[in-house]
Amino acid sequence: MRGFGELEQAIMDVVWASGAPLTVREVLEQLNRDRPQPLAYNTVQTVMEILHRKSWLSRAKDGRAFRYQATKDREEYAASLIDQVWATGADRTATLVRLFDELDDAELSELRAALAVRREGGR
Amino acid sequence: MRVAILLLGYAALVGTLAPVLLTRTGWAARAPRLAIWAWQAATVTVVVSVALAGLALAVPTVPVSGNLADMLHACVMALRAQYAAPGGALVAATGTVLALAVAGRVGWCLAAALWRARRERRRHAEVLAMVGRARPDLGVTVLEDDRPAVYCLPGTGHRIVLTSAALAALEPRALDAVIAHERAHIRQRHHLVLAFAEALERAFPRVGLFRAAAEETRRLVEMAADDEATDRTDSLTLAGALVELAGAGVPAASLAASGGQVAGRVRRLLGPRRPVHRVAIWAGALVAGASLALPVVLAAQPAVAATGMNTCPLPDAPVASAERLA
Repeated sequence: MRGFGELEQAIMDVVWASGAPLTVREVLEQLNRDRPQPLAYNTVQTVMEILHRKSWLSRAKDGRAFRYQATKDREEYAASLIDQVWATGADRTATLVRLFDELDDAELSELRAALAVRREGGR
Repeated sequence: MRVAILLLGYAALVGTLAPVLLTRTGWAARAPRLAIWAWQAATVTVVVSVALAGLALAVPTVPVSGNLADMLHACVMALRAQYAAPGGALVAATGTVLALAVAGRVGWCLAAALWRARRERRRHAEVLAMVGRARPDLGVTVLEDDRPAVYCLPGTGHRIVLTSAALAALEPRALDAVIAHERAHIRQRHHLVLAFAEALERAFPRVGLFRAAAEETRRLVEMAADDEATDRTDSLTLAGALVELAGAGVPAASLAASGGQVAGRVRRLLGPRRPVHRVAIWAGALVAGASLALPVVLAAQPAVAATGMNTCPLPDAPVASAERLA
């Protein structure tokens, strides 16, 4: 299972890097370009099938093969994670612990000033 | 009955005294780790005392003797006496319900909270593994996002996550301080501490002690992590990093600010550091531990006393029936 996770990541990286939808063969070629031990076609196909089932990839029939495409950009996924972190309010800290908070402008300038005074004093 | 009243009284005493001692005196911010332990001890003591009080009502004290047959006989007699007394059955039933309700509710809420947090974390980690870029040199995962954010995903397979915006905003020393802070959260297992406090708050939302405990714990774990981080760097660097992160934010989806914690923490870091003396820390921890042990001692005390009395050989006592048969 662990090895699959890495291959899933590698496949998504290839798909995200490419602008157009890709076939399994094309993904395989990209993956094997910098690999001492080439991957088998079936392995990549299986993992891409898994990614499709997990709805990371969407696919469309093109002739006899499928062409695969990412359902969302990498940035969108990242943003959704950060949204989740922002939404983690004061009552949900057991899931993740976040180190940042909003300050209003008055507080912010007050703290900046205090910080500057301390930094000056330290010198 | 007497034991149950004592235990309930003790729970009420701790419930009213602990918040006063822990929030009004101001030492909590100087020794956050001790304060976290004290809150945990106080809340557990109250739960255990109430549950044991229920148990004490439900089960009459049975004199313990060396002979199993005698003990069973005494047990039956004691139960019979309790149920024969007017209202005895009612008292026992109330006690049973109390003990089961308290233990069950706390256990259920804690299990549910832990399970839900674990599931959410795993889902988050799955997406993170795919989307984030590992930075082994820093020991963190970086997410591409223009909102500066730093957080940690605790538990098994824990991770510290920074957004690219946070990485750009912080100079190397500030970055070290921030990462040390998150490491402290993971190392001190703050997610479990928080899960426990929040589960109690959810289990009995009307109990002021549990509300105060959850709120204070959220504040104190940040301070404890700040302290550990400033042991490695200096407090000005960390304070600067906190202000930097808070100030650079473009909170498009800003929700649920957690009550201006950061301002308080920065002020604390800027002020003189006055840690509590080691001896005082140990003494405090000991007091908290003793308060935790007291209800168990109270509940066990009549049984212990009964053991002491009945193991003395008394030829005339009805329990010493073996001699009479001979």
